[in-house]
Amino acid sequence: MTFLAPAAAALAITMPVIVALYFLRIRRPTRVVPSLDLWPDQIRDRQANVPWQRLRFSWLLLLQLLVAGVLVAAAVQPALSASTSLAAHTIVILDASASMQARDVQPSRLDEAKREIGPMIDQLGPQDRMTLIAMRSTARIVTSGSGDHDAIHRALNGIAPSNGPADLSAALSLAAGIVRAGEDSRAYIFSDGIVEPLRTSFANGLPFPIEYHRVGVSGENVGLTSLTVRTSAQSRAAYLRVHNFGQQARTVTLEWRSDAGLIDLRSVSLSGGQAQDLALPVPDAANTVTARIDAKDNFGLDDTGTAIARTPRPFRVLLVTPGNVFLEQALRLRTDFQLDVIAPAAYRSATSYAMTVFDRFSPPAMPDAPFVMVDPPAGSALAGGASVGIGRVRATDAGDPLLTNVSLQDVHVAKSQDLRASSFGRALITSVQTPLVLVRDEPYRQVLVGFDIHDSDFPLRIGFPVLVQNLSEWMLPPSVPSRSFHPDEPVTIVPETGATTVTVVRPDGSRRQLATGSIATFADTDLLGVYAVEQTVSGKTDRSWFAVNLFSDATSQLAPVDRLALPPARVFPTAQTSHQGLIQVWPWIALVALVLVLAEWLAFHRGL
Amino acid sequence: MAPLLEPHVLRRLEALAVLVRRAVKGQMGGERRSVSRGRSPEFADFRNYTPGDDYRLIDWNAYARLDRFVLRLFVAEEELPLSIFVDLSGSMDWGRPNKAEVARRMAGAIAYVALASLDRVRLTVFAEGPTSGGAPYRGRHAAQELFARIRSFPAGGPTDYSRLVAPITRQRPGMTVLITDGLGTSPIEPAITALRLARQEGAVLQLLAPQEISLDWTGDARLKDAETGVEREFTATPATQAAYRTALARRTDEIARTARRHGLRFARLTSDQPIEDMVQRTLRQVGLLA
Repeated sequence: MTFLAPAAAALAITMPVIVALYFLRIRRPTRVVPSLDLWPDQIRDRQANVPWQRLRFSWLLLLQLLVAGVLVAAAVQPALSASTSLAAHTIVILDASASMQARDVQPSRLDEAKREIGPMIDQLGPQDRMTLIAMRSTARIVTSGSGDHDAIHRALNGIAPSNGPADLSAALSLAAGIVRAGEDSRAYIFSDGIVEPLRTSFANGLPFPIEYHRVGVSGENVGLTSLTVRTSAQSRAAYLRVHNFGQQARTVTLEWRSDAGLIDLRSVSLSGGQAQDLALPVPDAANTVTARIDAKDNFGLDDTGTAIARTPRPFRVLLVTPGNVFLEQALRLRTDFQLDVIAPAAYRSATSYAMTVFDRFSPPAMPDAPFVMVDPPAGSALAGGASVGIGRVRATDAGDPLLTNVSLQDVHVAKSQDLRASSFGRALITSVQTPLVLVRDEPYRQVLVGFDIHDSDFPLRIGFPVLVQNLSEWMLPPSVPSRSFHPDEPVTIVPETGATTVTVVRPDGSRRQLATGSIATFADTDLLGVYAVEQTVSGKTDRSWFAVNLFSDATSQLAPVDRLALPPARVFPTAQTSHQGLIQVWPWIALVALVLVLAEWLAFHRGL
Repeated sequence: MAPLLEPHVLRRLEALAVLVRRAVKGQMGGERRSVSRGRSPEFADFRNYTPGDDYRLIDWNAYARLDRFVLRLFVAEEELPLSIFVDLSGSMDWGRPNKAEVARRMAGAIAYVALASLDRVRLTVFAEGPTSGGAPYRGRHAAQELFARIRSFPAGGPTDYSRLVAPITRQRPGMTVLITDGLGTSPIEPAITALRLARQEGAVLQLLAPQEISLDWTGDARLKDAETGVEREFTATPATQAAYRTALARRTDEIARTARRHGLRFARLTSDQPIEDMVQRTLRQVGLLA
């Protein structure tokens, strides 16, 4: 047996003090009573005329000495040696992501994981250390290499759940970074296994063995996985997806309301594993619409979804072309574009347009605004070199966000201007012969296409309108994107021209001030709900919204993963061998003390 | 100094009378039926004349018819001899309101009821021994003198009920009221028994303070006997408090049973009861006053 706080044995001085108090006579106030005959003869201190008296047996004295003794025994913190597999440095990665808020184990998966980690902390020996990492959309070290049991317990209890995903790669990278070379270490992951796929390969393996402790038992859950508002020329409608991720058939009540009030209440029946898409009406005056289901399941974060219903302010876009139906149709897909199409001869100036697309035409002076230049005429400022024959095309960087969902596999270009010498910007789409599409951020977001659209089969591919969509969104980002974001996902906010203040009001009412001069990235999106962006322009406050919803099939799936795919360990140090840990027994001793105190109280009231 | 009993209390007391169950024999004429035959409008009986009888009582009409001397007897109306024994020991000098003070007022009230009915009142206060309250009082005009006399006795000392036996048994048959808390160095039972032996109709009125009925303190204390000054250390816990209440209830019950066994009335009064409530309600309920 080991004593973790042997100095506390000094408290044993209380025991002789208690005995001394029994030697001492109590100083009692005098009370005159009519007659002593009626008073029972249950008197603790017999008459004595000296300050000391003979010590007599008393149950109270015995119990008080026992209480003091037991409390001293608890204070020295005795610990029993126990053979454990804890390493000298234990790394605990605790999943604090959204799915850990599920209540299939009471009170929640996160609390269950904390309950399982608690005994590990208590087993740490005097020389052992523990690092606690909270795994959310980012990983964070909560306590690093500490041997202080109380401090680790406090840090563990202070870990709050987030609404975002769990980034396992970041957590493992962080853990690998804090382990010193040759250190006897071992990592434990307490998670339901619902984590983002590993991004890092960990080709050399992890510098510690790692154990996965599954938390959670059930995947029964009905949740909302998407909610979007579509605006067409005729009407507006919302499209909602309700998904039963469990095995059992469920019927839920759907409450559909706008910021003006309740719109509809309907019952939705779903068999096991079934998803159902619903089209729901959106009132003209609505700014936001909210769907809520009373799923009465173990997970509440996906029971509510909000979408922004207000139509974004339209952009005026000018297409200057001798005739290009492909470009025109692709641009008209944007419902927030007011597209004007004119012939080159009619072009005067484009100052009132947010964006201009020049097709096979170059104005005398390029506008100081976003533009797309397609196949500039020879001799113009942006024209390239002589035409060269092209075959297949490819992306310069397949991961470029501007090429999201754009497939270039079957795209061919007959010929193009030679843009190799162009200093316009970086190449987005290229070929063996020459870059084909160049983009630049400064002074404005602008695009140069070296070939005539008609000299390519690209307009016939699905990737073409997608590329036009991507480029136009990049060039004319909405001031506040009205789509739904995931928790912890950064939101790009472009302040209105002339905005003097930009403030984001979070769903809990807290306010965040943003810089007004440049594009701002707002990352405090950990709460679910509607965020309002208030911009003051010319003394008037303009308000727009974006929503943050869980909307994650992976999270709502909720079924805990039995085997988590983890990188292999590079080393198998001594952690596999027996290691002396400690089992603290003082809480049990303190419990005995509590029982004794109750007995002492009872004995006092019984007049013993 | 405030009067022992306020005028409005006295006015109400005048409407009451001490209730006796059997006829009484006093020394002077009063408003009570006497066991003696005397002069009064109410005829009682005839008896033969014996020498020495008052010849004025011979019924001459009967002599004419019967040719022998017959005395015509009438019910004599005599005063009630009422004795009030008031405990002014140290145990009575206790409580809020003070029991001794309330006992003085109570004795004064009962005495006033009797005086208003032309009854004869004898006052005796006692503690360690009895102290005569002076010559018997008679008539309403003697009330103030009696009140002053009651107030003149200080409270204190131990209670010795055994020393009450002799003065009680010396009394002529009549009415006796014993006002006490029943707490003392000797038991009260001999005094109560003596009341029966002296053919006293009467009542035992036990007067307690509210603080001794329900204790208002807990914890450690040095208890001091108000009568003897003896001290004892004590710790009041719920258990010991319950034991005290049981002992007090047992003592009260013993006094009540002894009194009733000897044909006496019994009432327990608390010193926080208004004097009018004690007289008008409690004493009427037990049949002492009417």
